Amino acid sequence: MTTLMPPKRQRKIGRWILFGSMMVVAVIMLYPFWIMIITSLKSESQFLSGGGFSWLSWSTLTSVIPIGQEVLSSTIVCSSSILIILCVGLPAGFAFSKLRFRMSTVVFLVIVSAMMVPLQAILMPEFVNVTKLGLTGGYFGAILVYAALGTPFSVFLFSTYFRGVPDELIEAGIVDGLGYFGVTWRLIVPIAVPAIATVTVLQFIQIWDDLLVGLLFIQNTSERPITVGLAVLSAGRTTSIPALMAGSIVSAVPAMVVYLGFQRYLVKGLTMGIDR
Amino acid sequence: MTLKRRRQLAGVVFALPAIALVVGFIGIPIGQAIYYSFTQWNGLTSTWIGTSTWTQAFHNTNLWTALRNNGLLLLSVPFALAIPLCIAVLLHQRVAGWRIFRSIYFLPTAISWVVLGLVAERFFAYQGTLNSIIHALGFSHVSTNMLGYESEALIALGITFVFTMIGTNTMLFLTGLATLDPSLEEAARIDGAGRWRIFRSITLPHLRRFIQLAFVMTVIALFSALFSLIFVMTGGGPGYATTTMEFLIYETGFNQGDFGTAALYGLILFVITGIVGVVQLRLIGSNE
Repeated sequence: MTTLMPPKRQRKIGRWILFGSMMVVAVIMLYPFWIMIITSLKSESQFLSGGGFSWLSWSTLTSVIPIGQEVLSSTIVCSSSILIILCVGLPAGFAFSKLRFRMSTVVFLVIVSAMMVPLQAILMPEFVNVTKLGLTGGYFGAILVYAALGTPFSVFLFSTYFRGVPDELIEAGIVDGLGYFGVTWRLIVPIAVPAIATVTVLQFIQIWDDLLVGLLFIQNTSERPITVGLAVLSAGRTTSIPALMAGSIVSAVPAMVVYLGFQRYLVKGLTMGIDR
Repeated sequence: MTLKRRRQLAGVVFALPAIALVVGFIGIPIGQAIYYSFTQWNGLTSTWIGTSTWTQAFHNTNLWTALRNNGLLLLSVPFALAIPLCIAVLLHQRVAGWRIFRSIYFLPTAISWVVLGLVAERFFAYQGTLNSIIHALGFSHVSTNMLGYESEALIALGITFVFTMIGTNTMLFLTGLATLDPSLEEAARIDGAGRWRIFRSITLPHLRRFIQLAFVMTVIALFSALFSLIFVMTGGGPGYATTTMEFLIYETGFNQGDFGTAALYGLILFVITGIVGVVQLRLIGSNE
């Protein structure tokens, strides 16, 4: 059949099939957003009966879920952890690539291999240590755990990134009397902006979306991050599902905005090390 | 002090905070986990009981159930690779509007697996989308409730897992395809090779490293990132039907208060991910 068609027409049909399959995939990938939106626009009784439309779950959202407090907690935990990850990871990455000391390669490999350790594997001792230090009362415990978990990757990314920096640049800075802190702050940090962006975006999404650390290392229910708040409410099985979906949308928006705005940094971070 | 000495000193000072953080929060707990796995431990007091925690653990059916569940979930990995590969190839044809499609496909990657789990729960629920689809197809007498049955809940979890991995893996493969030299495909086409032949002989070998990376990342996610999905979708149940290793650790430690056994389970998980990591290093090594 196809052999009888002129090649131009055949190609056109091929294009339409291609476009059609891409639309199908798009529908599947947009499904979560669609279900969140339509479910949030129903009252609980409308949700159970199937039909209808209501703003109720949105107008009563703050009384069902302490959404403002939770977003604030997420923001505090996220930004503090990322700040530590950057302040610790950037100098270390610089040191391991340009200021090598005795055994630095071994130390570097040990730190990088810590990337492979999932938190669950060390969950019990970690929890007991952080609790004994009295850090589960506020945000500090969670912030430090997130910072420690994010550091190996950021050290790896920064050191790979700085490998391309010419030694002459650093030497020139030292000769000019900047000192190593001056060189780092004035010469290295400005070069590192794309790497800083990559670490920030990846860690933001990771920490904003995480459940386990926030669930266990923040004991005060009034200091819960939004992802934890949603998960705990859902596990309780008593909260209205439309309200949960409205809360989910609120939690998803910041991560989506960051994601769409900085897509290329994310891709860069993910494929780090293999697409040189 | 010589310039070299000063540079080395600066290096040590710069690296120290990162070393301290990683040793304090990752290194030391690994050592503690080994110690506590030989003790009876409730978080406050621990008594050394030697290897009996280990023998008890290996006689515990929950451990084997969790390992079996992880093993069964590994069956979803081929799907978590093949589907994104197809999507990446579709996107790579660059039909009109492909950039918009790319953004749409990656969008679910930004949202929490907690939220995706909530949505998946709605999808599989008795009054959920899956049953609506089945009824719309004309099977009005058929109704599923996959999350409610021991035999089906794990399948639902696996399907959700595949969905959550699509964005990341597609992104990886698309990056790989972008590094492919188009003139190679052109040359093959001129030589009379068909689409499938070009895909098999040129595209697929080129993507080898990317597929390996995606494989390792998917397997690691399978062992260490399902917690959120399980927590909101099933709570590990019905029974222990969807309890994986990582969830068993949480369950044993925080619901049963048996910290020693949970620490031991953590070590088992550590060994498993360690093996995957070593395999990854060997794969990377064999490529260079």
